Amino acid sequence: MADIFYTKDHEWIKVDNGEGVVGITAYASEQLGDIVFVELPQKGMSFDQGKDVAVIESVKAASEIYTPATGEILEINSSLEERPEVINNDPLGSGWLYKMRVLKPEELKSLMSEEDYNKLIGAKS
Amino acid sequence: MSELLNENVYVEKTSLFDFHNKMNAKMVSFGGYYLPINYAGGIISEHKHTRSKASIFDVSHMGQIEINGPFVMEAMEKILPISFSRVLPGKIKYTQFINSEGRIIDDLMIHRTNNENSVWLVVNAACKEKDMRHLKKNLNKNFTINLRDDLSLIALQGPKSELALSRVIPCISSMEFMSSIWVNYKNYKVLISRCGYTGEDGFEISIPNKNVTSFTEILLKNPEVKLAGLGARDSLRLEAGLCLYGHDISQEITPLEAGLKWSLDKERLNNADFIGGYAIKDELINGSKRNLLGFLPKGRAPAREGTLIYDSQDNLIGEVTSGGFSPSLSIPISMGYINSSLLDQKEVFLDVRGKKIPTEVVRLPFLSHNYFKKVN
Repeated sequence: MADIFYTKDHEWIKVDNGEGVVGITAYASEQLGDIVFVELPQKGMSFDQGKDVAVIESVKAASEIYTPATGEILEINSSLEERPEVINNDPLGSGWLYKMRVLKPEELKSLMSEEDYNKLIGAKS
Repeated sequence: MSELLNENVYVEKTSLFDFHNKMNAKMVSFGGYYLPINYAGGIISEHKHTRSKASIFDVSHMGQIEINGPFVMEAMEKILPISFSRVLPGKIKYTQFINSEGRIIDDLMIHRTNNENSVWLVVNAACKEKDMRHLKKNLNKNFTINLRDDLSLIALQGPKSELALSRVIPCISSMEFMSSIWVNYKNYKVLISRCGYTGEDGFEISIPNKNVTSFTEILLKNPEVKLAGLGARDSLRLEAGLCLYGHDISQEITPLEAGLKWSLDKERLNNADFIGGYAIKDELINGSKRNLLGFLPKGRAPAREGTLIYDSQDNLIGEVTSGGFSPSLSIPISMGYINSSLLDQKEVFLDVRGKKIPTEVVRLPFLSHNYFKKVN
């Protein structure tokens, strides 16, 4: 059973057996509007928690993605290069951005549970 | 993700504010007003709907200014690079307020009305106060200058605009592009102008604030008509190569640099007898410092405002002033200025987050205009 964590910057990470899948939340996708371009990190690169690793561009603006956890990029969702709108259609599923090896699992405690995240966005809307 | 929403300080509401909320608009502040960036369908679908059918935009933030007084056209010719001898009564002209250095204070539409003592102006929201000061300074006390904030302004844009509006107000079918008429509708008057900011046929309609919601609802009953927000308005005007004040034109930029020479009256320019006339005539003789061009960056990354432009030798030669994704062409498009000594470049490089993107230089517009032409 994978655990899912959220950042206050609207990323999610689903962690299973030391591997994480990262994406943006439905709330973020809705706020951004039509997504037209995604710039993803390269496989093999390593980042510290909170570092900007990717860029998502909607019709309106460019937004940076900060990695929810420290680790190494294992795989990127290269289908987004041709079809970035998949993030809008399925942000928590096929619109995932990258997979990573989570090197500091203790960091995940600093992230939010689904319940806490829903409270955060509930307060915004 | 970086911060999605900016908190606003003080922002005004248009008369359609409650209506927008009822229609599930996503509201943003623009030019000091709360306006929809888009409704539920999103920017791309609103953009495409406008190009194929017709959309209503709330543009009530724009300033509508009525100027009355004897010989008002002569007085306005001292301020504007136009000749009313070549603008028939009932016609509209695109023009600019220009300062003594020949740079753009604001761009605007001016209507020659059927009353020779009255002209009608539509100016940019963020420039309203500056424009009013400019007018008061340059027109004598015999003129009344009235900012008509009792009126809202909606734009109906797209190839089905005439069909839709004529079901409500039949007489508009005979209107020429860039003309306007006052029409009695129910118990109030509306000013209908056949013009717009999308590159399509369309109308802008001035309506008393208290009637604008009901009028908008009536227009929306047309099956071809949907609502659209500022997001689509921006992508539509960018495809059409139309300048946005504060971005592509400003008090740093001249009309010649911005490719607006077509809007300057030749004889007036030759006589240089308007504010800024000498500076512009001088620029015409000696050449402009920079020129507005279109750019097609390779790949899918949009090159937005502020993106720097380099030549193949890595020299900085210009800057993007508007850029984004073109929903009609499904590619990124940008416009911006290149130093005029380097205008013959066919390929330049746009610096998007440190990557130099090979970019084709093109003439504006990106998409040819689809304005209404009357068949005689």
